[in-house]
Amino acid sequence: MSFEIQSTDVDVEEIMRLIRKRIEEKRQGLYTDEEIREIAEHRLDAVLDAHEFNSDLIDDFRSSRWNFRFDPRTIYESSRGVVGRLLESTRGLLRPVQKLFWNPNPMIAALSRQSDLNAFYIQIFHNLVQEVTKLNLEVQNLKNRVLELQGRLEFQIRREKTLETMVLRDEPADAPPRPREEPRG
Amino acid sequence: MRLAFVVQRYGLEIAGGAEYHCRLIAEHLARHARVEVLTTCAKDYIRWANEYAEGIETINGVTVRRFKVKRTRDPEKFAAWSRRVFDESHAPGDELRWLEAEGPFSPRLIRFLQRHAESYDHIVFFSYRYYTTYHGVLAAPHKAMLVPTAEDDGVYRLSIFPPLFRRPRAIVYNSPEERDMIVKSAQNEHVLGDVVGVGSALPAQYDPARFRDRFGVKDHFALYVGRIDRNKGCPQMLDYFLRFRRDRGSQLRLVLIGQAIVGIPENEAVLPLGFLADQDKWDALAAADLLIMPSALESLSIVTLEAWWAERPVLANAKCAVLRGQCLRSNAGLYYSNYDEFSEALTLLDQNPELRHALGRNGRAYYDRHYSWEVIEEKYLRLFSIIARQSAAQNPPATRPPESARA
Repeated sequence: MSFEIQSTDVDVEEIMRLIRKRIEEKRQGLYTDEEIREIAEHRLDAVLDAHEFNSDLIDDFRSSRWNFRFDPRTIYESSRGVVGRLLESTRGLLRPVQKLFWNPNPMIAALSRQSDLNAFYIQIFHNLVQEVTKLNLEVQNLKNRVLELQGRLEFQIRREKTLETMVLRDEPADAPPRPREEPRG
Repeated sequence: MRLAFVVQRYGLEIAGGAEYHCRLIAEHLARHARVEVLTTCAKDYIRWANEYAEGIETINGVTVRRFKVKRTRDPEKFAAWSRRVFDESHAPGDELRWLEAEGPFSPRLIRFLQRHAESYDHIVFFSYRYYTTYHGVLAAPHKAMLVPTAEDDGVYRLSIFPPLFRRPRAIVYNSPEERDMIVKSAQNEHVLGDVVGVGSALPAQYDPARFRDRFGVKDHFALYVGRIDRNKGCPQMLDYFLRFRRDRGSQLRLVLIGQAIVGIPENEAVLPLGFLADQDKWDALAAADLLIMPSALESLSIVTLEAWWAERPVLANAKCAVLRGQCLRSNAGLYYSNYDEFSEALTLLDQNPELRHALGRNGRAYYDRHYSWEVIEEKYLRLFSIIARQSAAQNPPATRPPESARA
């Protein structure tokens, strides 16, 4: 730690202020992952709200309300309790008969893959939003630092010129002539 | 003075916050009054199944009168009502049905209160959010003292609760933050109230060496005591702690005491010990460098107060206003609201034994000032006495009218 805490008369509020200052110094204007996540979610809200979308899109997709599950048994399932279980058994029994009319396997395989892909896309979408926000913030931060460095550079140039003028003005009249700088290259 | 305590569960095996709080207060006030506890036969708070026998028994010198729960909780039905009242527009009647679904649904206990409230001088209700408290306070508001044990989880904002907070004769808050939260929501400034909290069952002595020998813990360690659960912020604490070890190269270990509900990462730095006896817990507190309290929802963390009594500093989750306030008022704990703060504060405590001792000493002084049993008992007795004086002023003992004057 770069700061000292006196053990007598401990002031927690002051220690916490020093801790935050220390973190701020370390970060030098960069955001933590948690802050980026918060900003990303906030910005996503703004974009989605503007288009009248549900702002909790990611959470919504992840919730059980959106059922992405699809497996080979799904098309034979029923949600009607006891009657449903009876229906499921009947469908199971009739499965060989059904296969005489058409082959559901390619459809089941395609939908299962699609179900996995949907879950995967949500994750990618979420990560992309965070990464884009992070990059956006970093670009903004770098721009600010470029502007700050440019300002400092201009200030240094002006200071250098002023100092040169002062040196020339202070030189005594009988001072030996300064050696002429040889042109280079 | 005859006192009744009404609480959803009661028993020596029950370690839940409000229930344990109620038992400690009842046992201590039993030295000053005739105390009776009115509770249910439930032991488990998920389903409220009747596990204790109905009737009267004595626990640690306190009479306990148990009433059957008429209907156990149906978790699916309760979840459906919770969705309805917390996420959808709904009527106040739906909130009452949510309360009934939450339970413990014990109409017998409420009927007993309606019939026998007058035989007690004061009735102290614990935990505002349960069926027994809500309907119990409404059955005998003129005798009721409420200990809400409210957390900032949004439940207190349901429309049925602000009127409840305006009904009792007095409210005993656990912290100034809890009082502010309830007063702001219920506009109940006129109800007599005080910030009291609870003391603890303190050990006669503790021995850090005994803990180290018994559990083979040689290194410095931070301690967590409580249910190892998502609701208590444990996954985040474990994540932060392992990152802290990696980033800072610290040798500090984390010892966990309590029942594990969530998975604990297998790592040599983390030592889960499961549920321990009280004496082992006190020995662990004495051996630890500090206590970490990661919960964002606490009405009053008893284990934090116990750590302070044992002169150990605390690192608490700043998202819990109560814990943050306690740390600031006591000058005995640091707090964090993100990983950077956790890491910096833990480094500071890890590397600075002088600071740990200074914070620990402050903690002990804070405990003695506010949470010693003499202070707690005196605050309760003072509230009972004010209520009694108010009642006497409102209903002066009038001379009985002559028989002929009665209707």
